[in-house]
Amino acid sequence: MSQVRTTELPSPSRLGAIRDPGSAALHAALLLSMGLAIFMAFVFAPAERVQADIYRLLFVHVPSAWLAFFAFGNVALGSVMYLVRGKSRWDRLAHASAEIGVLFTTLTIITGSIWGRSVWGVWWQWDPRLTTTLIMWFIYTSYLALRSYIDDPAARQRMASVLGVVGVVSVPIVWFSVEWWRSLHPTPSITNPGGGMPAEMLTTLLVSVAAFTVFYVVLLRQRIQLELAVSEVGRLYEQLHERREEAA
Amino acid sequence: MPAIAANDLVVRLGRRDILRGVSLSLAPGERLAVVGPNGAGKTTLLRALAGLLRPRRGQISLRGGRGPDDPASRRGLGVLGHRPHLYPHLTARENLAFAARLHGVPEAAERVRTALRTVGLTADANRLVRDYSSGMQQRLGLGVALLPEPDVLLLDEPDASLDEAGVRDLPAMLDSLAPRAAVLFSTHDERVAHALGARVARLKAGRLTGAQHEPPLDQPQRTDTRPRSPGFARATWAMIAKDARVEWRAREQVPTLLLFTLLAAVVFDMAFIAVLGTQAASVAVGVLWTSVLLAATLGGTRLFATEYERGSLDGLLVAPIDPSSIYLAKFVALALETMFVGVAQLIFLSLLLNVSLFQALTVAAVVLAAAAISAVMALQSALVVSARAREMLMPLLAIPPAIPVLLAGVGITLGALEVTPAGQQGAWFGLLTVITVVFLSLGMVLYPHAART
Repeated sequence: MSQVRTTELPSPSRLGAIRDPGSAALHAALLLSMGLAIFMAFVFAPAERVQADIYRLLFVHVPSAWLAFFAFGNVALGSVMYLVRGKSRWDRLAHASAEIGVLFTTLTIITGSIWGRSVWGVWWQWDPRLTTTLIMWFIYTSYLALRSYIDDPAARQRMASVLGVVGVVSVPIVWFSVEWWRSLHPTPSITNPGGGMPAEMLTTLLVSVAAFTVFYVVLLRQRIQLELAVSEVGRLYEQLHERREEAA
Repeated sequence: MPAIAANDLVVRLGRRDILRGVSLSLAPGERLAVVGPNGAGKTTLLRALAGLLRPRRGQISLRGGRGPDDPASRRGLGVLGHRPHLYPHLTARENLAFAARLHGVPEAAERVRTALRTVGLTADANRLVRDYSSGMQQRLGLGVALLPEPDVLLLDEPDASLDEAGVRDLPAMLDSLAPRAAVLFSTHDERVAHALGARVARLKAGRLTGAQHEPPLDQPQRTDTRPRSPGFARATWAMIAKDARVEWRAREQVPTLLLFTLLAAVVFDMAFIAVLGTQAASVAVGVLWTSVLLAATLGGTRLFATEYERGSLDGLLVAPIDPSSIYLAKFVALALETMFVGVAQLIFLSLLLNVSLFQALTVAAVVLAAAAISAVMALQSALVVSARAREMLMPLLAIPPAIPVLLAGVGITLGALEVTPAGQQGAWFGLLTVITVVFLSLGMVLYPHAART
């Protein structure tokens, strides 16, 4: 049987995309913004009159929730664009955003639960905001599960895109749940004009949101590049397989 | 104008390109046999030409117009799949009659009789297909493909499972039922190709040779004699009636769901036996909605899967109908099943727990909630159809978005039983209506994207 020389394989051109010149700048921005947010959360923002220091969870809880919404919005965007255009890059955006969104929804639920234990005296309440958030978490977890149980890449991308469009229905329901139903959960602090949050707290919250948004962009790029690398490895294996078949 | 044309077709399954730049062209009335070893891509080529697979690259055109994605282009398209598009719990005559309705065949009864006679199944026309041999099923599959008097015919190994007489009859079947059709078929036996007077093209490792034909002679423009599309409502109704008939014969879905819900009622009631004296109404409401939700999930898991597994879903997808009508028909089937089970559970729990659960308000809640749950689950059922571990995925996908339906149902029935203050029923009914409308609309728009991969 003739030997296949690996030097005959085409160069992995798309892996060039992984050498990303903007990456260092983005990581520096993340380091700076996150450092500033941590400093402001623990030093700059004053203690709350009733809740003392436990309220500082706000600076993780709210940005995590914002990021989850933003990520799931991007899942819908990527899904719609994939269904319309059929380009894999849109599906990669949706997939990466769904993973990040689930991660930050989990963080939102955990921080909310710890906070709830301190303020309400229980770890969990079947409150409209909490319940709808849990449903949203399940919807996007099932999105990731669906992806991992369909073997054919084209079918996987298409089915996941359909689910990505359907799933976004849950986002406005979570957002408006505190207004549509009676809820223990407070209404949004930033958009509520009568929120009464001191300027130091509000500034710290906005900086945290900005830092988490940079974090999302970093994670998104890393995840997409990882996905590209996986595709490229798969393609190279396939070419190797074809060469072996032809040689045989 | 070629009847079938494909240009630089690339179809990928998994990580492999099964077809690699296939181009072909068939003039009206021409026949082309595609031969090649196992795994060469013959079935993939036929499925792509029928619109059942989306090519990664390249174009397909039927009769010089649009590709098979367009329902109008599928008028006059006959397809015999690797597995014939048949329903085992229908008779041969019923299978053909259903195909005639889907393809909008005029004078259907006469055409069905002709098809039965031509494929040699007149004597067995009223037998259920499940009792047919594989050769008889293949003959009937050919009858279904030839029924709309197609001008484009795609046959995947038409000689498979046929006895010698069947193979000998093949040319006569085509000449009689589809005399003007451009026929593209796959076979392992070149003698079949010669018997049908077909050119032979060879497919090997995804590459096709010998498929380009000489420029067609100028042919007189023929009037369009293809059957008309049956229309959205007629197609939907035909599929609902077919599903009802299949269920009536097979008795698979409804008795299973009914038994499941009744057992759930007994088990839950026993589990809560300590509080039944004081809180029977609350227990009844909880049991009712839990069992309705789980029964709908169970039914939803099989909704598309049964047709997918036996290949008949392909028969629906190659018909000249809007794919949304398939989703709508499946939604109606699941909604009716869930309503039936829910109303049965209302009666059963009323008797078992001695609560007045069977009221106009609760029946209305069950009917509307069944519609809402089914609107959610019909689409999810289509999404998991080709997935591994479908039975695990379906509850994971379908139950979370259906939770608001559960909450609304519980809200209405608790109010009706005066466990909680009445007065919010209007809002809960509104929620159920919104969920039904939103998910039904999403399903109608999105199902066509999920139907073909």
